[in-house]
Amino acid sequence: MKPKVLLDKVGFWCATAVTSAALMLSIAPMTASAVNIPTEVTELGKDTYKKYCSPCHGEEGKGDGPLARSMLPKPRDFTRGAYKFRTTPSGSLPTDEDIYRTISYGVPNSTMIPWDILTEEQRVSVIPVLKSFSEAFEVRKPDAPVTVGLPLRPTERALTEGKKIYEEKLECWKCHGVEGRGDGPSAAEQEDDFGFPIKPFDFTTGKFKGGNSAQDVYLRFTTGLNGTPMPSFAKELTDEERWCLTYYVMSLIKPEETKK
Amino acid sequence: MKLIYILSILFAFLCCNLISSKDILADNKYSEIEVPDGGTIIGNVKYMGELAAVGLNLYRGWELSDTSKLNSEKLVFSKVNNGLKNAVVSLKDITQGKKTIIPPVHPIIDQQNNNFIPHTIAIVSGTTVDFLNGDEQMHNIHTRSARNQPFNLGTTYKQRISKTFDYPEIIKLTCDLHKNAYAWIVVLDHPYFDTTDRNGYFEICDIPPGTYTFQVWHEELGNLEKEVTVRPKETTTIEFVYSQN
Repeated sequence: MKPKVLLDKVGFWCATAVTSAALMLSIAPMTASAVNIPTEVTELGKDTYKKYCSPCHGEEGKGDGPLARSMLPKPRDFTRGAYKFRTTPSGSLPTDEDIYRTISYGVPNSTMIPWDILTEEQRVSVIPVLKSFSEAFEVRKPDAPVTVGLPLRPTERALTEGKKIYEEKLECWKCHGVEGRGDGPSAAEQEDDFGFPIKPFDFTTGKFKGGNSAQDVYLRFTTGLNGTPMPSFAKELTDEERWCLTYYVMSLIKPEETKK
Repeated sequence: MKLIYILSILFAFLCCNLISSKDILADNKYSEIEVPDGGTIIGNVKYMGELAAVGLNLYRGWELSDTSKLNSEKLVFSKVNNGLKNAVVSLKDITQGKKTIIPPVHPIIDQQNNNFIPHTIAIVSGTTVDFLNGDEQMHNIHTRSARNQPFNLGTTYKQRISKTFDYPEIIKLTCDLHKNAYAWIVVLDHPYFDTTDRNGYFEICDIPPGTYTFQVWHEELGNLEKEVTVRPKETTTIEFVYSQN
């Protein structure tokens, strides 16, 4: 074989390898799984927690920091291991990635800001500290994340189907109201596991607490919100019905409300 | 050949590890033995508190006592003998005894007319409970357990949900859509327990002879304890009285 041909061949394969690697990287979702999450509590984690988290969540993670009194919704009490925004089934503990996601993106409509002002290393180091507050993490393991089916196309038919589920099958309006303003007949008496009053979510604002994508909304009523009255509907809905409900709920957003 | 030996030794080692770790995880103090001459305890749980003789107390005059507790299932007792319903009687700190039988037919908690039926059940750990919805409307089942995995599931008409409870705990079950509805699941790690019937009666049998502490739990009235000696092949009658409110 002539050296030039050899060079060509090697060059071609190199280029193919580089391209495919680049493709793989771009296809792989940019989730927290790319981040290295420590398993042990580190000094950095303790420091970060004390400085940035404990003013609201308390030194021992009981959700009773000095600033917590004036807040509603209350800062989360970590001692129960009940986390709202997860990809795991109802009642299960969250995965490390779920906790990382909430820290990084924050919770809209609450005092939990997106903590992207911290470095990735700092954010990640807090996770073992949060887990150390609850003995639930020693007794139980998080279940496997639920599988999200392929998205349906948001057609007119999907919306009518979703409306039927919202109003007749699951009776979401009992808490969230017919127009999705969070003013249903049972709304006023809701309270969370810690005994604090809790407001059903107002869909018209469009600031979904667990994320604004269709997949996030899908996950919220599939997994439920631990520690709140919001149940999981994993047993009730087929995959198609869930997408219909997702699109219907997202269609309740009122543009003029989102600007407030 | 050598490789096979090494591998087999490694495999055996791994197996041992697995088995021992399982034993630690099980965390079970209760051991099963043959009980050929077990004794039986039967008895009655009574409520003699302030609300006990409501409707019978002629000296109260027009000032009726607070009956708000009576309208719910918080405090249900018989008008005839003041026997308390929905109390759970169990043996405390029993280490060995009869074989634990996990019921193959799952106990049921049904939701009818916005209420949980039955109100209290006692089960041995490992039992699967079926939750039904008999109403033509939406309900949810919300538990707040710590060791057993909590759950909050929405149910529609004729839905059946099965859940297994593996650790001893007292679990409250609520429906967030109907604030008055709640139920209790008492999970125990041994088979010596009973829930009182509507006249407050209970029966626990096949207890190995000896002296035990009996415990009654009631959601509203709390715990009561009593030391009782169980004699072989004999039936002993005991009585628990809640006199406070």
